[in-house]
Parts: sequence; structure tokens; C-alpha cells
Amino acid sequence: MKTTFFLAIFLGFVGVLAAGHFVPWGAHVRLPSQTRVIANGGRAEQFLIRLPADRIDVASAKTSGLRAAPGAGTSTLATTEPLLVEHFKVRDAAGNVVGLAARHWSADAHASGTAWSLMIPSRGALLLTAPAEPRAALDTALHTAGYSAGATWNGDVKVAFAPEGTDAAIVAGGSDEFAGLAGKYTETWTITGVTDGGELHGTIEIDTVTRHGI
Amino acid sequence: MRYLFVAVLGLLLGAAAAGAAIYYNPLITTRSSAEADVADRALHYSLPSEVLGFALGEQVVPPGTPKHDGALWEETIERTAMLSLVLDDAQDKPTAIASRMLAVSSHTDFLLSGVRVNDYWLLTIPGEGTLFLRAEANVWPFLKETLPVWYLGRPWKGPADYSPTAGPGEHGEAVVVGATGRFVGLEGTAIEKYRLTDLDPAARSAAATGEIAFKLGAPQVAKSE
Repeated sequence: MKTTFFLAIFLGFVGVLAAGHFVPWGAHVRLPSQTRVIANGGRAEQFLIRLPADRIDVASAKTSGLRAAPGAGTSTLATTEPLLVEHFKVRDAAGNVVGLAARHWSADAHASGTAWSLMIPSRGALLLTAPAEPRAALDTALHTAGYSAGATWNGDVKVAFAPEGTDAAIVAGGSDEFAGLAGKYTETWTITGVTDGGELHGTIEIDTVTRHGI
Repeated sequence: MRYLFVAVLGLLLGAAAAGAAIYYNPLITTRSSAEADVADRALHYSLPSEVLGFALGEQVVPPGTPKHDGALWEETIERTAMLSLVLDDAQDKPTAIASRMLAVSSHTDFLLSGVRVNDYWLLTIPGEGTLFLRAEANVWPFLKETLPVWYLGRPWKGPADYSPTAGPGEHGEAVVVGATGRFVGLEGTAIEKYRLTDLDPAARSAAATGEIAFKLGAPQVAKSE
């Protein structure tokens, strides 16, 4: 009886410590990576954002157009500099949500630029940077396509914020699985509708081409 | 039957002893040797007053807390969180905005490293540019002191100070990379500290003031990958 008791204490003690050490408490569900090898080396991977479903929130200074249209999850910043901060869920090429993304855009005279941070919990994070797109670039394209503020609009407008062939839109860093990767990316917004409240419908495609230590 | 009872009792006692050993385990408190030399600029924040927006994964919502519609429910991101907050300078003037994406880290280990969280910041200072911060934070000291207050009705001994930054830098500091503006090409380190100023067990809420201090410079070692 005594032996059973002390053996059970030992097993309980060791079992909990072993669970604390060996159980992968920090593991995230991982879906197969939708990457493909490209002809001249490196790998290509596309990330998608579907609007409005994947928009988490947005904060902007001054009027930032439709991308910061008033609504749930929209905050106004006190700064006078043109600044737009957007948060999204991010999907793989197959359309599965795989992570989160933050996009910071600023267009003041001294520090203009766009930075994306993509976090795929099971794989790490990516930092993408590019020159800032012109202010209200999306609004301008939509107005050209017939959109009027306050009215519902349907159509198909593509705006490349970081167009193909732009060497300045780069994969600037990463962590874990993305550590040591460098390369380029393109960012294309395809807008298929705007509600009368200014809510955007469409997709954002981020296409990356990376290699180790370019 | 008696043997079964004795075995179960023994297992429970052993498990409780192990739980106590983990609770008081000195190995899983943050040791931040980086504190002294990382501070040529510091930005401050106050929670929750300077939070612009936040979203929590369904698996990290504290039990008993009402779930929000905007929860991150997909299985791949259910153990993550995202928030945006305003940061102030030393004169309490709003100076920057940060997006923080957090995910439970695979380095979590209750014996050796604590409850680790990957904490990715995108921090923009208007007129200067954007920084990318990559930190690994140990939230075990925070959880260890707040969960008993929230769930067991234990008295809170606060305010309490925390230095959660535990890597991935060589000395336990966060890694900073310049992304846009005048920060392009700069690299550095950062550490975060915060003071928990209020803890409300009924609302499962907390208030805190925090600071992110960073140091930037040109890369000192050429990359060779």
C-alpha cells in the first residue's frame, strides 16, 4: 500500500513536469504552405485578403478615403501627418485564413512609405516594404471607374500599389521559417463593389518571390 | 479498491506538488540582462485608454469573459491577438502608432522558459518612418500573479512591474529593423516594460502603463547567408 502511494506520488509529480516540458503548448494549427518553386530559383507564395470579411480594424489621420470609411473598427488619429494603419486577417492562395497582417502607410514629406507585417503563427513573420502609393490612389481609381461617394457601386477595378517590376517593393525581413529570406513582392487591390456606406468589397493580393540571402 | 484510492490520491498529491514546483520555478521568470544598455529612445503607452482597437483569438479569451463578434475564430489564428495603440513621448504627447500581433510561441515550456509569446510590432512615428520589432515575451510572471486574483479571489498585491521581453536577441532583448523613412537600413534592439496599475476581478480587466525603449544604429555585422 505504502509503495503504491509513493509510486503514485512520483508518477503524478513526474507526469505533470513532463507535460509542462514536452507538451507543445505553443503549437499552432498549420495548413500546408501554398508555395511553388519558380523557374529561375526561389519560391513564390501568394497571400490574399478578402474585403470586407478580413478587415479587422483601421486607424487613420486626416481623411484617408474609402479605406478608412467610418464604421466599426475605424479610429481617427490625432496626428496631422497623412497616415493609415490597417489590420487584416490574411489567407493563403487556397483561401484559408492562415494569419494576421498589419499595413502602415505614411505619405509625409520626410518619411513616406508602406510597410506590411504578415504573421503566420505556425511559420513566423514577414516584413514587406515599398514606397508609399499616392494619397487616395484607390479612391481616384474608383472615381475614374464611375463610383460616386454615397452611392452603391459595382464593377471591377484593379489598382497595383506595388506593381510588378517594382524593385523597391521588397521582402525586407522575416523570422522563424521566413528568416534569411529576401526578395520582391507585388500588391494588387481588386475592388468589385462599394456599398453606399463606403464599405469596400474585393481582394488584396500580395505576391511574394523570395530566395535565401539574395 | 483501497489500492485504487491510494493510487489516485498519490497521483493527485504528486501532480499538486509538481504544480507548486512550476508555480515557484525560478527558471521561468524573465531575466533581462539587456535592460541597462537599451535606451536611447523610449515611447510610453497606457492601457486601455490608448488602445485604438484589439482582437483576441478565441483560445486566448480568458474563461468567463464575454466573447466579441470580432474574435479571431479560425483555427490557425485562434491563439493570437492583435492590437493597435498610440504611443507617447516623454512629454506625454502622442508620437507614434503601433500595431502589435501576438501569438503563443512554440518556445513555451513550463520548466525552462515560461509562457512565451511572439510579439511583432509595426511602429510608425509620423515624420520619421516605420520600425519592425520582433520580440519574444515571457508572460508567465503576469499570468502567475493575475490569474489567482481573477479566478480564485486572491488579493492583488499591485501595482506590479514586469519586464516581459525575453528575446530573440543575444541578451534577451527584442530585435528592431528599420522599415521606412529615416529608419531604413538601421537595426537595433528594444525592451518593453510595463506596470500593472489596476486589476478588476469582476470585469476580468486590467490597466497598465508601459514603455518600449529602443536603440538603433547601422548594422555592425555584415550578413553572410
